[in-house]
Amino acid sequence: MDYTRGVSVEAAEEEEERRGWDSHSAGTCSSSYTDCSSCCSSDLEPEWLDRVQKNGELFYLELSEGEEEILLPLSPLEPVGVNHVRFNDSEAEILSEERKNVGKNSEPRFRKLAKMLKKKHTSKKGSAGLNGPTCPTSILKQHSSQKAGIIVRYQYRDTCLYVNPDRLPEGEPKEKSNLLQALIGIVHQSSRNSKRIERQGSQEASQRLSNQEKLVVHGFIPGSPAIRCGQILIGDTLVAVNDVEVHVENIERVLSCIPGPTQVKLTFETPVLCSGTALQNQSTQVQTSINDLAALVWGDEHANSQQDLQRMSHIVMYLTLRLDSDTSKEEQEIIYQYPVSEASHKLKSIRGLFLTLSDMLQNVTGAPIISSSLILNDELVHVSYWKENDKLLLISVPAQRFPLLQLKNMTADIVRTLKFMYSTLDRAFCQAENISRLDHFFSLFFQRALRVFSLTGIAGYGSQFYDACSSLLVENLPGVRWLSLPEDIKMEIDTVLSDLEALDFAELSEDFYEMRRLYMIIGTCLFYKGYLLSNHLPKEDLVDVAIYCRQYCLLTLASERIGQLIIWREVYPQYHLKQCGSSATEECTEPGGRYFLLIVGLRHFMLCTLLEAGGCTSKATGHPGPDYIYVDQVKATLLQLEMLDMSIEDRLSSAPNPCLSCADWFLPSTRDKLGNFTNSAVLSKLQTPPKKAPSPVSKRRLFAEAASSLRTRRPSPTRSSGGSDSGTDGAGESVGVVTHSTPDMARKFGRRESLGSGGSDGSGGSGSLLKINKKKYSLPNPFSSGSLRKNLSERETDDIYNTIKLTSGPENTLFHYLYFETLQGVFISPTHKEVEQLGGSIHPQLIKNFHRCCLSIHSVFQQALNQKNSKQSDSVACMDVAGFGPIKEHGVLFECSPENWNDQKKSPPTMSYWVVGRLFMQPQPQELYVCFHDSVTEISVELAFKLSFGMPL
Amino acid sequence: MEDSSVFLLCLAASSGVPLYSRSKGSSRQLTFSVIGSLNGVHMFASNQDVLLTSTCTENTRVAWRAFHDSITLIVMSSESGASKLSLNRLLENVFNAMVLVIGLDDLVNIKNVERLKKDLRACYRLIDSFLLETEKMGDLTQCVDCVIAYDVPILQECLDNFTQAAESNFGCLMAGGKVVVATEKWWRLSSQEVMLLCWLVASLAPHSSRDYPVYLPQGSPTVPHRLLTFQLVPGVDVCVLCGPKPSLQKVETELIERFWKPVHDPIKSCLRVQMRSFPASVPLHHGILGLLLINRDMNKSLYTVQAHPMEEMQKTDLKLTLEQRRSALRSFYTLAMSRYFPSERADGKNTLPSEESFQSGFSHSAHQCYTISSSCKCYGMKTELHLLFLLLKPEVPTFSMRSIANKTIAAFTKDFPF
Repeated sequence: MDYTRGVSVEAAEEEEERRGWDSHSAGTCSSSYTDCSSCCSSDLEPEWLDRVQKNGELFYLELSEGEEEILLPLSPLEPVGVNHVRFNDSEAEILSEERKNVGKNSEPRFRKLAKMLKKKHTSKKGSAGLNGPTCPTSILKQHSSQKAGIIVRYQYRDTCLYVNPDRLPEGEPKEKSNLLQALIGIVHQSSRNSKRIERQGSQEASQRLSNQEKLVVHGFIPGSPAIRCGQILIGDTLVAVNDVEVHVENIERVLSCIPGPTQVKLTFETPVLCSGTALQNQSTQVQTSINDLAALVWGDEHANSQQDLQRMSHIVMYLTLRLDSDTSKEEQEIIYQYPVSEASHKLKSIRGLFLTLSDMLQNVTGAPIISSSLILNDELVHVSYWKENDKLLLISVPAQRFPLLQLKNMTADIVRTLKFMYSTLDRAFCQAENISRLDHFFSLFFQRALRVFSLTGIAGYGSQFYDACSSLLVENLPGVRWLSLPEDIKMEIDTVLSDLEALDFAELSEDFYEMRRLYMIIGTCLFYKGYLLSNHLPKEDLVDVAIYCRQYCLLTLASERIGQLIIWREVYPQYHLKQCGSSATEECTEPGGRYFLLIVGLRHFMLCTLLEAGGCTSKATGHPGPDYIYVDQVKATLLQLEMLDMSIEDRLSSAPNPCLSCADWFLPSTRDKLGNFTNSAVLSKLQTPPKKAPSPVSKRRLFAEAASSLRTRRPSPTRSSGGSDSGTDGAGESVGVVTHSTPDMARKFGRRESLGSGGSDGSGGSGSLLKINKKKYSLPNPFSSGSLRKNLSERETDDIYNTIKLTSGPENTLFHYLYFETLQGVFISPTHKEVEQLGGSIHPQLIKNFHRCCLSIHSVFQQALNQKNSKQSDSVACMDVAGFGPIKEHGVLFECSPENWNDQKKSPPTMSYWVVGRLFMQPQPQELYVCFHDSVTEISVELAFKLSFGMPL
Repeated sequence: MEDSSVFLLCLAASSGVPLYSRSKGSSRQLTFSVIGSLNGVHMFASNQDVLLTSTCTENTRVAWRAFHDSITLIVMSSESGASKLSLNRLLENVFNAMVLVIGLDDLVNIKNVERLKKDLRACYRLIDSFLLETEKMGDLTQCVDCVIAYDVPILQECLDNFTQAAESNFGCLMAGGKVVVATEKWWRLSSQEVMLLCWLVASLAPHSSRDYPVYLPQGSPTVPHRLLTFQLVPGVDVCVLCGPKPSLQKVETELIERFWKPVHDPIKSCLRVQMRSFPASVPLHHGILGLLLINRDMNKSLYTVQAHPMEEMQKTDLKLTLEQRRSALRSFYTLAMSRYFPSERADGKNTLPSEESFQSGFSHSAHQCYTISSSCKCYGMKTELHLLFLLLKPEVPTFSMRSIANKTIAAFTKDFPF
């Protein structure tokens, strides 16, 4: 009893210490990076070092402590936040976490512990081997070799549970000393249990007696994690916790070493009666460890989705069309498949159909096959194909989850990411060591598919909901959400990133070690909470990286919960490789160049760096792991950038620009409640969120800074479009620059200005612009300063946002918008905050409809673009037959009425809104989607489009 | 595969024997091996309890449909306007046409394949008329195409009396395959049957009178009725659906003269509205090129791509532009119906989720939509009773499209009720 208390105190101390350490590192985000880096890597070995895999890849994720604290009180019922989960993206090689032993050693640093305990662990393994054939670690290895002993008498099953020792009732653990019950909720009736309770003092002795006794699950504590997870059955035997073998003797000790709220992996031994369950068992095994990331990203939603996923008929297969006739092996055409479940079995069994169809239709029609629809178990299922050489990748998802329109795009994205990660599909699928990684990859993919669906039923609120419904559309766009920033902040970021890209540090300079540097940085892009802040990558690379991040949910993750994230892997950016191939005749730039992606995330920031080895740097050999100097440099950069945190946060929480309205305001019922809103003044007041005003001091400081930066620094051409993207980029950029000098553009500028604010003197070159800025000194808007180039109109509407609206008329009628630019691969839409602030009950539905409708409009535009491309290559004749011509604008009017309308006498009031998409072909395809109230006069719609068209991003 | 060709295959589901194949726009036929594998994949799937419904490649769509486990229809289309919706409706129409002509019994219980093949020849003309896009939209909308004639009340009265005299309740007056007037009972037939009967009459070679056995696909798929048709003037027929009595000869000699002679002029005037489907006196905005108006209650439609026939007479390449307009309106209709406007199949028999209903994902209902392309603008509108699709000149300003549509609807609800 004493013993347990001592340990728990120790654990708490440890917890404290770690938190302290964390906050310390957070606190030292001053610009002197040496300080930080020394703090981060004072140990010679960084904490992620033992996670690096054999092929040099690293996926290291550490959650923030803070968010744990925030999340726990909010959701006392469901385990949402998972603290300190570290895992690899290949679950076959899970490195067992030694956290349970942390408490025993009072060493502060986790890494040292891990190292020390590793030895212990191996010795333990040895002893476990002596005990019997049930070594947990060997079990884990087993499942990667896909055949999981079918006639074994015992099956091992991993279950991940979230436990929180902090929430234990205060006195209880001391009294009962039964953490198994209190923490996990498993009741084990030890044969000597009663005796033990009587003679608490001689506990030690009795435990020694029950040394070999197995921990059989006899029951559950109601409401405990064990019963909530639903995967533990009475009669199971708990054999390991986090891969440490447990029995009656050591279980309390092991559990007491859990330092804080965390996720533990329990391995159970289940007596298996028939071999039939082997299949099912295997699949659950595959999923549990994968779940970590998904559970992390989606929290409690995730739990019920698991069961859904089991039932959903979905599959990914990679099939070969070329068969060896001599080896008539069963299923030899399947190179890869995921998942192996009951529901997907049927799809697998008809693979011959897919092969035949793709082959035959290609021969008959001369075009590659795209998709099929099937009805399976009374459910419509879409199959999307990707044919390459003699291999066929096919992905199948029920139509309810993904509209076919989306599935096609998602397949293309998947192929793109796989090529980015593995160079070719063949390399991805045909190498055995990739199997588990792909399992993980596709598991995430299907999880996402499910998530969109699970949210379609319910009306949700908040940014989670917004995220989910926008993902319907956004995941189809080859671009990233972009956040326009005030000029000075942007400048600062660009400078910091450029400094990093120059790699001009003492340790990295070539003179320092008298050897070539390892890597050259091609470019970087910086994300904040999932928004792109700055991009120094060529567009194609940016899209590659963005889609990679999207597939691994990193952008969502970064918006909430990252403590620290380090990803390192070799990548194959098609853009560079293609360039290499095509320019083979000329002076080939980097023939043997290899590329590496380094993503470092620190709290809300995430910096993706694309590195190049070979060429002017030394050639990479083998599978180089992450070089800690580079990692530290990037981390230091991030720490340096963290001081901009506040100003970016300000931008995020600033009033929406252009102004947005909530749909509910336009319904009479709510109008009655909220008073008369026809008055625009009231409206605008409402739109101005209370949060908006930061402390005046910071405002003034910010502004002063901005103003000075405006005067002193000449805006250099931004690099965000990627310098190496040749001429077209340059053109786009020059447009942005020209804006300030040419008089007619300035006139336009002025007109726009006057449109909103009434009188302004914005008419004449950049000088007057500066004047405007000065004049606006008194405006309580921190972003009224550097409104030059780039996000011109965005910023400009910002400038005068209190009065300007994208729409005209007494009320602001713009509900939502999305602007997608292909040239830079970015899109702009209202931020999560903005949407959240609007709230409303109908508005979320409107946003959902908007995105769904945009998906449809987008597909129409895609068709138009394809048509245009084919027209260029073919003759004009085919256009005439089609008769339609490429569509450049498409709009849909929706009508809605408030839910639960209980006034029987009157019919419910209706509100109509348009969702309109426009496709601009010149100079580069751009798509603009807006959602506005029906009452908008048609002319002002035209005007709004015109204005936005003048929006040089 | 050539541009815009369509292949339609009909096979016996159990044996896989091809019953017939029709095609459009292609000089060559599909090879037997292709036919075999197209059917083979579908058979293979259904053996595994999976129903293969459609597949598309970059330029072609293929749709499969098995009817009553005995007939498999496969269509393969490389037309640019082909969509899931249009192909599915085509297959439905084709099968219903087969039922209409030879009855469901013979199709479900195939005893002699050679015999069936021979029988099926009778419906080639009707099936071909579905493949070759005509001036009607009924194949896509599955509503019957109508015209608004000048003297509707007179004709209606005349038809009612005539039908009564012919001991029937089902009578209909058609001009060029479009319904001018029909008896109340005729409208109570299912929309597909009404549409099929019109198309059947239009597809048959002109005769002065005809006694044709028809099986109504929904009303009486196994027991034939007699369809009597009489040509009043070239292009205008009156038809009656009746039982074993009266004889064709009796009706032709005794009734036709008596009832229709007095209204010879109004009948002739029906032909004048054919091109536009409604009288020139209906005010239409001059920017309107084509129009499709569907009465959702009665399942009838007005369709024209020559809203202003007089003004356009002089144009030389009219034929080509009309073709373009047709396809533009058809694609727009397909887009709107498959994505936005909720489909309400009153029949309720189509419970099979063969088509993804994209619109069911919307929590608010769509009422209007439009597209703008370089060559034309389209506007679609849904009201309580009607669906209106307009094809407009590109010069028409976008913001005025809505008011044009409203005015058009108003014209057809007040002055010329449809």
